[in-house]
Amino acid sequence: MDKLMADLKIQIVDQLNLQDIKPEEIGDDQPLFVEGLGLDSIDALELIVLLQQNYKIKISNAEDGPKVFRSVRTMAEYITAHQPQP
Amino acid sequence: MLYIRATGSISPQKTFGHGPFLTDPVDYAGNRLTCIEPDYKELIDGKLIRRMSRIIKMGVAAAMECLKEAGVTVPDAIITGTAYGCLQDTETFLSRIVENKEEMLTPTAFIQSTHNTVGAQIALLLQCHSYNNTFVHRGFSFESALLDAMTLLLDNPATQVLIGGVDEITNTSHAILSRLGLYRQEPLSNRELFTSPARGTIAGEGAAFFLLADQPSPTDYARLEGITTFYHPHTITATEEAISSFLTAHSITAGDIDLIITGRNGDEKNDAGYRDLAASVFKGIPTTHYKDLCGEYPTSTAFALWLAANILKTGYLPAVLSRQEPAPGPLSGQSFQAPRRILIYNNYLNRHHSLLLVSAC
Repeated sequence: MDKLMADLKIQIVDQLNLQDIKPEEIGDDQPLFVEGLGLDSIDALELIVLLQQNYKIKISNAEDGPKVFRSVRTMAEYITAHQPQP
Repeated sequence: MLYIRATGSISPQKTFGHGPFLTDPVDYAGNRLTCIEPDYKELIDGKLIRRMSRIIKMGVAAAMECLKEAGVTVPDAIITGTAYGCLQDTETFLSRIVENKEEMLTPTAFIQSTHNTVGAQIALLLQCHSYNNTFVHRGFSFESALLDAMTLLLDNPATQVLIGGVDEITNTSHAILSRLGLYRQEPLSNRELFTSPARGTIAGEGAAFFLLADQPSPTDYARLEGITTFYHPHTITATEEAISSFLTAHSITAGDIDLIITGRNGDEKNDAGYRDLAASVFKGIPTTHYKDLCGEYPTSTAFALWLAANILKTGYLPAVLSRQEPAPGPLSGQSFQAPRRILIYNNYLNRHHSLLLVSAC
């Protein structure tokens, strides 16, 4: 889980071009949207594509979005639970 | 009559920040002039800047510089002109379509790739919900934006319009336009653009913004007396007639013009028309050119207008504008009076011709 969360932080910084933030500065449980990293709806779309491209995971139910993208930890938990088995 | 209240320009010269007026011209080797850009982090909110490509940052920063000089926080309208639009994001988006086999496309590059993104980002930054329009008409893009600003100010007195012309060149567009023969095949210094005529010109880019108002103020740069465009005149006579008609419409003759700024670009075929005009309707009038400073691009008249506005405000003709030709004519070796009226004449690829008449306040 720790390795997955570290990878996710790098991917988030890269995909969203967070210029002044280093991956290690993002807390595992830090909120990604609004009061946390301050991400917005366009970033949400970028994160959905990130999950599809990197982990082959589609979020089919839009209502899952706020729960999945609450923090890096919730993203990692969702990936672990839904990643296709090789 | 419109008044140029403030300006902001990012160009291949040191034009940003209202420093000394072209006292230290930048020389380039090769066939491409690229903008000298400021540290955008000092000018644009970090949360917005991360999604901005180079042209958007250039446009937004030039616009902010212009508004800051004018002391205006939110203009009554934002109008931009661009021919190429946001090329870098367009290339990114199209490349991802191919790479990802038309699936899983990220939204940012697509959203930012549309031509009106610069105007939209300025409005977002300012929370400006007023009139916002972008004109995309090749070599008439900036001129069309100017015409829209003029009609808008005529219909809505006592308003202030932010207007700008922006275009960028990327590695891909430079390669494509080079293959089409637009640029010089042999490298040259921009200083030699007019002294070594050959086929092709040098590539350029820039973002220049102006705050226009219909009422004068003590700090205005200049008055914009008129503008016209004409498309692809087939003979030099047709061009001469268009110029004469424009001057007549403004109740002046060529003799009333103190300085002509032309869009000569060093391409011998393109420049033939300028040489013909110098021997006819423009004969005897001090003339200078600007594309050795900014390169050739469809909205370069925005840079020319910035140049004219600064000449009229300062009453100073930078030495760099006198160095261009082997025989510059009236500009050479004579004391040059501060011009009171300037005519900008440009043509883009000998198709899109425009005239801008600007005078001192």
